Amino acid sequence: MATAAQIQDAYIDYVLTHNEEPKSVYVFAKNIGITEQEFYNFYSSFIAVEKAIWVDLTIEAIDKIQQQEVWATYTSREKILAFFYAYIELLKSKRSFVVYSLKKSRTHVSTPEVLHGTRTVFEAFAENIIKSGLDSGELADRRFLSKRYKDALWIQFGIILNFWINDSSTNFEKTDEAIERGVNVTFNLFQRSPLDDIIDYGKFVARNSRFKERMRF
Amino acid sequence: MKEQESIPVTKVARSAKFVKTGIQIGGNYIKHYSKKIFNPELSRDELNEDNAADIYNSLSELKGSALKIAQMLSMDKNVLPRAYVDKFSLSQYNAPPLSGPLIVRTFTKLFGKAPDLIFDKFNLRSENAASIGQVHKAVLNGKELAVKIQYPGVGDSISSDIKMVKPIAFRLLGMSEKEFTVYVKEVEERLLEETDYELEVQRSIEISQACSSLENVVFPTYYPALSGHRVITMDWMNGLHLKEFLQTDPSQALRNKIGQALWDFYNFQQHELRKVHADPHPGNFLITPDERLAIIDFGCIKQLPDDFYYPFFSLVSADVLADKAKTIDAFRKLEMIWPTDTPQQVEFYYKAYKEMIELFAKPYASETFDFSKEEYFDRLYAYGDQIARMPEFKQARGVKHFIYINRTNFGLYNILHDLRAQVKTDKYKPHLQAANP
Repeated sequence: MATAAQIQDAYIDYVLTHNEEPKSVYVFAKNIGITEQEFYNFYSSFIAVEKAIWVDLTIEAIDKIQQQEVWATYTSREKILAFFYAYIELLKSKRSFVVYSLKKSRTHVSTPEVLHGTRTVFEAFAENIIKSGLDSGELADRRFLSKRYKDALWIQFGIILNFWINDSSTNFEKTDEAIERGVNVTFNLFQRSPLDDIIDYGKFVARNSRFKERMRF
Repeated sequence: MKEQESIPVTKVARSAKFVKTGIQIGGNYIKHYSKKIFNPELSRDELNEDNAADIYNSLSELKGSALKIAQMLSMDKNVLPRAYVDKFSLSQYNAPPLSGPLIVRTFTKLFGKAPDLIFDKFNLRSENAASIGQVHKAVLNGKELAVKIQYPGVGDSISSDIKMVKPIAFRLLGMSEKEFTVYVKEVEERLLEETDYELEVQRSIEISQACSSLENVVFPTYYPALSGHRVITMDWMNGLHLKEFLQTDPSQALRNKIGQALWDFYNFQQHELRKVHADPHPGNFLITPDERLAIIDFGCIKQLPDDFYYPFFSLVSADVLADKAKTIDAFRKLEMIWPTDTPQQVEFYYKAYKEMIELFAKPYASETFDFSKEEYFDRLYAYGDQIARMPEFKQARGVKHFIYINRTNFGLYNILHDLRAQVKTDKYKPHLQAANP
């Protein structure tokens, strides 16, 4: 009896050996000695297998960091940093597949199809962290904008992945720098800034000056 | 302390910082000269202070090798005017730390495990910065450890940093780029060595063993198994930094004891080991509760080759310096006097360098030397100031080894001065070449 993990491994092995997806589910199933039905018990298509591999990796990274003792002591910023470091480390074990999967589906759409499930998982994770950051005051709560913080982090996700698949430095040290820098830039934007003060001050002046009264005339 | 939010990593970003500094320095000069039109009495001190502040601000944002260079310049009190020195001394302490997850990442990469799985306890907040890294406290099997972690990409950026620091350094020292290249190369080599933590562990063990017989000097134990190319683990040393130590108002006897330990440590290395811990900035020493000197950083080691050691230290002996022909001969070997010099130039440099060597050799001339004497240091600074102003010294002279040996010895003198220590200077004397080869 095949398992999901076996199918995933066999699939990765196949695409990396042939540099393309199998011609059909029938051929693939036959190749790895299972029935077509067994395949469909787990996945509806090859793209579904790929999506599942990505989702599993992402969930594994999240699980891993949350098990670290320091996790509870981290700020939101550090939690996101920790995620990316752990994620890239984990992806290293499947780098060839990651490169294959991303390069194959490189489109101009912001999120390639293989990452759809991953996006949902990541955003749920990020939203949680953002929420605690907003609660603790680490991040600035801005009407309308706070809801888009997770999108900004998803963009960062894409940038880091892309940086990594093209990184040729020893032990991917440059990617570490890219993560440190990128996440910090993003979080600096999330924090309260002079712009927030200006807006607040504007509101205050508008509310308390005679501006309104004068407008009535 | 506020954590630094970003390091300018790319060459472009770093360049931008330096360009900014360059412009600010230019601005300071304009400010200075426009003020001077109205007030001719205005000293250069204010200008120097403005410059030092701008350079320091920019360097400390850069971290890495730039910070190291700031540290290094700050050691050369003999070359730099005091205003520079005071500002640069700031960089000898606490630079802002990097994020916790990056520390975890570094460990995972090196050892395959997060620090909290390697040690019984590991504090993710760093205790202090060590210019190209930061120090964390950890506990393993009941022992307190210090774990030094290097920022990623430091080695990569050193060479490009140096290229950018160069123009600023030239302006600071008033020298031209071409003449300075040999020296810059020497500095670059040392800095690159300093990023090699594996080498540092090896040297630390080697030198601390060689120096184990010295009195009142202690070294931490190093743990090679818990160290790697970007991490060093050693015993946590309890103690006070020099400044804190002096604030406790230690007795003269205690100051002498610490000063003596320091003097012995340096002179034992120079004259017996022929390689020396060439980074005598106060952050590398601690005074332990049992009144001993702890040495906690072996990043920078300078070897003294024979062709430098013998001519240079022969000058320390009074009879060589009294003999003009022998002195000039030594100066020639050390490239302080060039074969192309005219007789007048030979005479000029002979006099100028003789004064320097006399000053340098003073502590060796008697059995004990009192480093608290202001007049000695005033003469040193005055000499440095004077040299800096003389057009003849616009060109760099002397073999490259001088950079680190001067820095080491004048650094040592300065620390002893801060300690106001009286030191027996005849314990580890320079070796003179036995006979003519």
